[in-house]
Amino acid sequence: MIGGRRPGLARVQFAATVRKEVLQTVRDRRVMFMLVAAPLIQTILFGFAVDFDVDRIPTVVADRDRSPESREHLRRLLADGTLRRTAVAGDAAEAERLIDRWDAAAAVVLPPGFGADLAAGRPAEVQVVLDGSDPNRSNVAAGAVSRYFGEVAESMMRDRLERQGLPSPALPTVAPRLWYNPSLRTAPFMVPGILSMLLVIVTTIVTAMGLSREREVGTLEQVMVTPIQPLWLLAAKMTPFVFIGLFDVLLVTTAGSWIFDIPLRGSLLVLFAGTLVYLLSTLGVGLLISTVSSNQQQSFLAGFLFALPAILLSGVMTPIGAMPAWLQAVTYLNPLRYFAEAARAILLKGAGFADVWFQLVALLAFGLAILGLAAARFHKRMA
Amino acid sequence: MKRRLGHFLVRVGAIAAKEVLHIRRDPRTLYMALVMPVLMLLLFGFGVSFDMDHIPLAVADRDGTRASRELVDAFVAPGEFALARRAGPEEAGDLFRRGRALALLVVPRDYERDLSRGAGPRLQLLVDGADPVTANQILAKADAIVRSVGLARARRAGLSAEPPLQVKVYTLYNPEARSAEYLVPGLAAYLMAIAAVLLTALTVAGEWERGSMEQLFASPVGRLDIILGKLLPYLGLGILQLLLVVGVGTAVFDVPIQGSPLAVFAFGFLFLIGMLGQGLLISVVTKNQLVATQAGALSALLPSMLLSGMLFPLENMPLALRVLSYVVPARYLVRGLRGVMLKGNGLGVLWPDLLAMAILALAILAVATGRFKRRLA
Repeated sequence: MIGGRRPGLARVQFAATVRKEVLQTVRDRRVMFMLVAAPLIQTILFGFAVDFDVDRIPTVVADRDRSPESREHLRRLLADGTLRRTAVAGDAAEAERLIDRWDAAAAVVLPPGFGADLAAGRPAEVQVVLDGSDPNRSNVAAGAVSRYFGEVAESMMRDRLERQGLPSPALPTVAPRLWYNPSLRTAPFMVPGILSMLLVIVTTIVTAMGLSREREVGTLEQVMVTPIQPLWLLAAKMTPFVFIGLFDVLLVTTAGSWIFDIPLRGSLLVLFAGTLVYLLSTLGVGLLISTVSSNQQQSFLAGFLFALPAILLSGVMTPIGAMPAWLQAVTYLNPLRYFAEAARAILLKGAGFADVWFQLVALLAFGLAILGLAAARFHKRMA
Repeated sequence: MKRRLGHFLVRVGAIAAKEVLHIRRDPRTLYMALVMPVLMLLLFGFGVSFDMDHIPLAVADRDGTRASRELVDAFVAPGEFALARRAGPEEAGDLFRRGRALALLVVPRDYERDLSRGAGPRLQLLVDGADPVTANQILAKADAIVRSVGLARARRAGLSAEPPLQVKVYTLYNPEARSAEYLVPGLAAYLMAIAAVLLTALTVAGEWERGSMEQLFASPVGRLDIILGKLLPYLGLGILQLLLVVGVGTAVFDVPIQGSPLAVFAFGFLFLIGMLGQGLLISVVTKNQLVATQAGALSALLPSMLLSGMLFPLENMPLALRVLSYVVPARYLVRGLRGVMLKGNGLGVLWPDLLAMAILALAILAVATGRFKRRLA
């Protein structure tokens, strides 16, 4: 029992404080709007704006051959929509100037005599010029051109062998089968990640600022002179956010499955359990921040100083496996990592307790440690 | 006239000095605002990459011959994949759910016999598609590996496999595809948005929350002076952040400044003016720091990250978002900074972006001061 002389009394005090906190939060319509509408807006924005499958890359085309063959190759190269013709240039130098002026991000240059060379079996060369200021996009553009002309080269090679009366080489082929997300859409990948980011914003920053506000206004000291134990007071202050967090999880998954057609394969119970242990950490960090900040502005900054690196090192945006080894080691200290992993496995892969127990235990351990540390600091500061 | 201007400057300076004093008396705000850019840039520069190697791969080798072992070696030896374990295809679900493997390769029985008989054997590759970027890499890498194994066998069998057609790729501006060069402009936009919108919104909203705004109004200092005085220190802080991001970017990550540094400054300055206006507007409308935070995060931080082209190309987005992006100042800033720093563009190319930022900044300042005056009348 935390500090109460009479457990019955503590429970009554706790219940009364929870009621007061819930009333206070719900009464402020603007705060409620922000806690409910903001997650929805974030989900929709992220879901529509983030698309790793880059296409419609503005491309300038320089067809210096102007033969039926070169026109046909360009038509087929642009047919799948990865590259979109936005400009036409006479030669490579002009194409480069157009890239310089932002009229295109890639250029495809076919040399004079391209069609005739290919038909005669003479080697030919396609030039690709890329705007490398966005590496991901230039990779995709280079890949699209290489893949198309690679296939052309391979079929030409087979034709040649056939004409010479030689057998085509027996090449092994790969038959891929994609699990969970067969059309490789980005939204199903992002929504579980949005959940983990959102809960940090809604719980960590709001708790930290809320407590700082009470300190600014002086109401925390007023409550401290009432008979309620400080730790019960803290628990009561955090209770509304546990429900808001669970509600937001429900809201985002529902919106995700309606708007973005995200499969909900796992059990909501497991997801809720994961959310509960995750909230221990996010609320704990919020409390910790409030004990080291003297005003709301500082709480906000400190919250962001925690949230931004934590989001970056959680695997929500880029795979953890692609980080250098020392950073990968750091991610094991990041509660967001475990929740993002668990949420993704539960929602997309139908994982149950047996699959994500490690993540849940890690979250519980981190949560208790952070919350314990924060409560101790809070207690000391109040005493 | 001259004297009135002098008085005006003194009053603005006094309010600004008061705000600076606030910040200096408790320098944690300043430290955090300055640590953030450096920390973020280092993390982004070192940590953000989509290119994965040693992708954990489970293998079911049903053939168990020399040829099949050669194939598996071709997957794991160059370091593209790492052999996670040997497992049957029925275990794929378990492995994927627990994150133990991201793909499972099944080499069929009779793989070697089919190859030597001239029939192309089919390999099965089960891929965890939850992360589309990684899944795409797995598909591309597996395809390339299997193709090169096949071509190597064909060459050994005496069949020439010289490709008659080559694609030569030249990459301008950032040939090594380093993420720092790509991210510095976007990061500058994001961090300046935090300083300019949120910190100002919070400090002005705080005056209202505590009731000290009314006290300030009762003093002989004019309303415009108060506003300018409160905003000036944060303009300075934002410029400091811009210098830090660009400075660390050039010093640590060798990000070039091909164009004029003055142009970088001009873009940053105009952006900050608009963002300060937005922060002011938010504080006037909300008068509450908690609500101001959320409003600022939604109206400034989120669009600065998602709708600026900082991380995700705009032309890839649905039409509605592309249209919306035209009123996001960060869009012009990211383009302008990339143009100046990486491409060496001058104002001849970038003047429309500067103009757009100036128009947006003036519009939001007009709305903000309008609301501010009405609020007090």
